[in-house]
Amino acid sequence: MSSRDLQNSHFLQGLKTRVRQWWSLADQVARSKAVGTIEYEAEELDHIFGLLVLGMFIGMPSPPIHISMALFPLMEEEFTLMLDKITTAHDPLAELFSTLDID
Amino acid sequence: MASKLQFFIGKGGVGKSTTAALTALLTSVAHRETRLVSLDPAHNQSDIFQRQFTEKPRSICPRLRVMEVDTEYWVKQYLQETQTQIKKTYRYQSAFNLQDCFNILQFAPGLEEYAMLLAFEHIIQTSQDTEEIIFDMAPTALTLRFFSLPSISLLWLEELLKLRSRIYDKKEIISRIKLGPKNLEQDKVKTKLETMITDFKKLRALFQSPQTGVNLVLNPDTLSIAEARRIRTKLEHLGLKITRVIFNKVPPDGNAQKTRQVFKDLPWVRFPYSANNLKGLDELNRYIQIHPQISEILTS
Repeated sequence: MSSRDLQNSHFLQGLKTRVRQWWSLADQVARSKAVGTIEYEAEELDHIFGLLVLGMFIGMPSPPIHISMALFPLMEEEFTLMLDKITTAHDPLAELFSTLDID
Repeated sequence: MASKLQFFIGKGGVGKSTTAALTALLTSVAHRETRLVSLDPAHNQSDIFQRQFTEKPRSICPRLRVMEVDTEYWVKQYLQETQTQIKKTYRYQSAFNLQDCFNILQFAPGLEEYAMLLAFEHIIQTSQDTEEIIFDMAPTALTLRFFSLPSISLLWLEELLKLRSRIYDKKEIISRIKLGPKNLEQDKVKTKLETMITDFKKLRALFQSPQTGVNLVLNPDTLSIAEARRIRTKLEHLGLKITRVIFNKVPPDGNAQKTRQVFKDLPWVRFPYSANNLKGLDELNRYIQIHPQISEILTS
């Protein structure tokens, strides 16, 4: 194989890799965009579920206590999030600045 | 062997504990292995038999053992178990901060009837060798809450499971689109909800099964009769049937016809009024000898 052919082959290989990378990125972006709404919905439903089951810990009416107690050990993430929300509720401006990444 | 369960319910003071104690004695005399359980926090069985009873069944005559359920013990035990589980699954810091919550939770409304239910399940599981289990129940309000707990819990659990399943389905879609056909990790909360639904359905079925009898105790007075009617309506809403009416403290010249009309479709046993205080095993046995007709309770 001549050096010119070799150069061409390298070029094609590089091009192929770049196209593959670009395709993968575009695919990821498209997939993220496609599920964005569902993700938001699932997250909100998660919050509702957390409030429904563990609401009594922040003074909201809740299901019979034994149901909350049975699920409580399995819901640390929801519980922590709920406590965080209460903390930030006292300072909504700080939460907004933090979301927008303003120091 | 599935034990036959008999509940004694009615207005406060009508004689649930005494009629339950007499029935327990009758079944044990009829050669049936019997356990008398007091689920009434006031615990009258100690006064009736003039002996101390605890969570551990105590034999008081052949084939009859008596126990009194300590709901406080069951509440503490239950909260302790939940706390241990939380310590296992939560990070140290979160679990540590929850201690104050648990100190208050033992007084939370609703825990008393759940403790009764836990004790009840424990008794059923540990009484495989018993033919008859007789439950002396708490006054009406607490007893009705106890009986309605499985149905109310199921209402909540089924709705929570629907919501949790929606969340899980959406997360599965997200995972499939983002990561391809990998299996999403099993949701522990959903699994727990499903297990609880199965358990409460079993309990509800047990309450409604033919092996369970509900004895409605009443006196010849308008107040206890009125409350008995309300109890019947409430229990029927929950799918429980009254199996027998016990007309207690009937005076010798007592006319029960009017009361009989109210519950004419139900089997009926009269427990005559006793001038003596029915306290102690001897006194109870004497009552049974004087009034042999009360043994109808075993056949009606």
